[in-house]
Amino acid sequence: MRDAVTTDAPAVEVRGLAKHYGPVRALDGVDVTIQAGEYFVLLGPSGGGKTTLLRTIGGFHRPTAGDVLLHGRDVSDLPPEKRPTGMVFQQYALFPHMTVERNVGYGLSLQKRPKAEISDRVSAMLDQVGLTGLGGRKPHELSGGQQQRVQLARALVLDRDILLLDEPLAALDAQLRKDMCLELKHLQEKVGVTFIHVTHNQEEAMTVANRIALIADGKLIEQGTARQIYEAPRRRFTASFIGENNLIDGTLSATGDGTATLDIGSDRITVPSDESASSGHDATISIRSELVAIGPAGGEGLAATFVESVYLGLTTSHRARLADGTEIVSRVVSAPTPPAEPGAPVTVSWPQDSARLHID
Amino acid sequence: MNDYANPWSYRLQWAYMLLVVATLMTPVFYVMYVSFNENGFGAAEYVFTTEWYGVVFGDKLMMNALGWTVSLAICTTLITVPFAVLSAKFYKNARNKLPVLFLLMLPLFVAPDIFGSALLVYFKNLNFAFQWLGDQLGTGMFDAWFRLGFMTALIGLVIYTIPYAFIVVLITMGRYREEQTEAARSCGASSWRAFWDIEFPQIRPGVASSCAFTVILCFNEYTRTSLLKGGFDTFTTVLVSQMLNTGMSEQSYAMSAMVSYVAIALIGGIILWTLVRSDKLGREARAKAEPVAA
Repeated sequence: MRDAVTTDAPAVEVRGLAKHYGPVRALDGVDVTIQAGEYFVLLGPSGGGKTTLLRTIGGFHRPTAGDVLLHGRDVSDLPPEKRPTGMVFQQYALFPHMTVERNVGYGLSLQKRPKAEISDRVSAMLDQVGLTGLGGRKPHELSGGQQQRVQLARALVLDRDILLLDEPLAALDAQLRKDMCLELKHLQEKVGVTFIHVTHNQEEAMTVANRIALIADGKLIEQGTARQIYEAPRRRFTASFIGENNLIDGTLSATGDGTATLDIGSDRITVPSDESASSGHDATISIRSELVAIGPAGGEGLAATFVESVYLGLTTSHRARLADGTEIVSRVVSAPTPPAEPGAPVTVSWPQDSARLHID
Repeated sequence: MNDYANPWSYRLQWAYMLLVVATLMTPVFYVMYVSFNENGFGAAEYVFTTEWYGVVFGDKLMMNALGWTVSLAICTTLITVPFAVLSAKFYKNARNKLPVLFLLMLPLFVAPDIFGSALLVYFKNLNFAFQWLGDQLGTGMFDAWFRLGFMTALIGLVIYTIPYAFIVVLITMGRYREEQTEAARSCGASSWRAFWDIEFPQIRPGVASSCAFTVILCFNEYTRTSLLKGGFDTFTTVLVSQMLNTGMSEQSYAMSAMVSYVAIALIGGIILWTLVRSDKLGREARAKAEPVAA
């Protein structure tokens, strides 16, 4: 222990964290601060380093460099059992030879609590996660959703300050995952514990999170609320990963007065910008597909060629191609009729202030 | 012709399996058969008796050899099986598994007579070295450390049985999910406590099988033990020596049959217990499980 405990410190503070496996950099200089009581989601593609970060916070990996502070106390050198964290795993983590009650009460029995107290606390926790009456069952006698609730109960019964959830819903079917997402959110609000949840599922992240951190290639790309990340991504990668964004690459031809002009070959696009890049710099703009409109040729916007429409039930995806080959997607609700025949000239447009400039 | 309704393919598979088992077990069954013959091996007339089984317990040489074998088997099991469990754990956690596997399997690649004689030479040299050390220090306490006897035979058996015990434990351990150990540790268990509370109960059948296998191997082993045992005899060395010199006595057949009964009962018991338990668990699960309610 290097630092003294300070009670008003963030629940989790990660400073310059790196984890290397030989030449592979699973984490590289990650800094993140998570406040007590937050529902924080680590979101990103598979192999990006989010699980490594979570497991390093939990003490299952020793960092190559950097520090992990929990409530202001440096725990970088402490094993998992000595950290104030609980963990919920993706699956296979229940003890199959123990009943649900013994699974949930295992941590309390390690603390040598009286049997009556263990029994009371386990019953109360099983009630809380909706497993009343199932305490005598073995894990293999439960559904996937019930098994994950047992894991939650086992972690929460210990009254730890921080709960780490490693893709806890990944093994569940789509409908159950949606239901469990909301339940997790409500449970976190009820118990007030800091939740750190790893997922690669964007909808899951946006459902539960107070804040989302996007992790890829071992780096923290961007963090913010779900709305910030979705509506105003600052990095190109974020725009490509979150939602359905159209990305148009080009060269900055003019900047200033809160706008920037991007040269994309035959066309120029003006976007709002507070970026300080100079002309001649490569850049990308992103526009969410639901803000793009495809209209008749000759209108105000970029000339394009209509490609196809794909009916997706609630929404329909219309696709057009710009002169430089970039494909633009316009997603609209309840509009199964294509705006043009495939191969016909069309105009692609969007509100000017809805485009974001990315200079990565 | 409905190929799916043709029972012959299934029957042939069973016939083949029974033939293989019969081929393997016929010599053992024959020993059992002879052990109940009052006139012994090769007699023209077969007269059923259980007399030889009674005589076994009066044969001092045989009982003495059995005592040594049992002692060796117990000591070997006590050393080999924990070592095999630790090795299997090390193997599972090792980033580069191939060298670990190779080193642990190495004793299997050396012929028993070469291995036995190599150990014999090694122990003799070691014994000389320790005697010399004792002489230099003016003490006799090192004289018997590596003199051929129980200890050297034990070392030979431990080296011989470790690969087998390791593989048996590893097979069971392969089904164990490390997430459970991590979950236990996140509940506050130390790594040892997590192993004892969570992993060991799940690999116990493998450990039990490993123990049974080690005991049986100790009873089977002849070459290394005969070279390293020094002045005492084991059950196998007595049997082989009798067979080579005077031919097997009737009580030797009875003793061999008894050892086979124990081995078959032990292995059969483990298999039966595993099948019954898995069937029971399956029935319990089906009885208790309700339709999924999230």
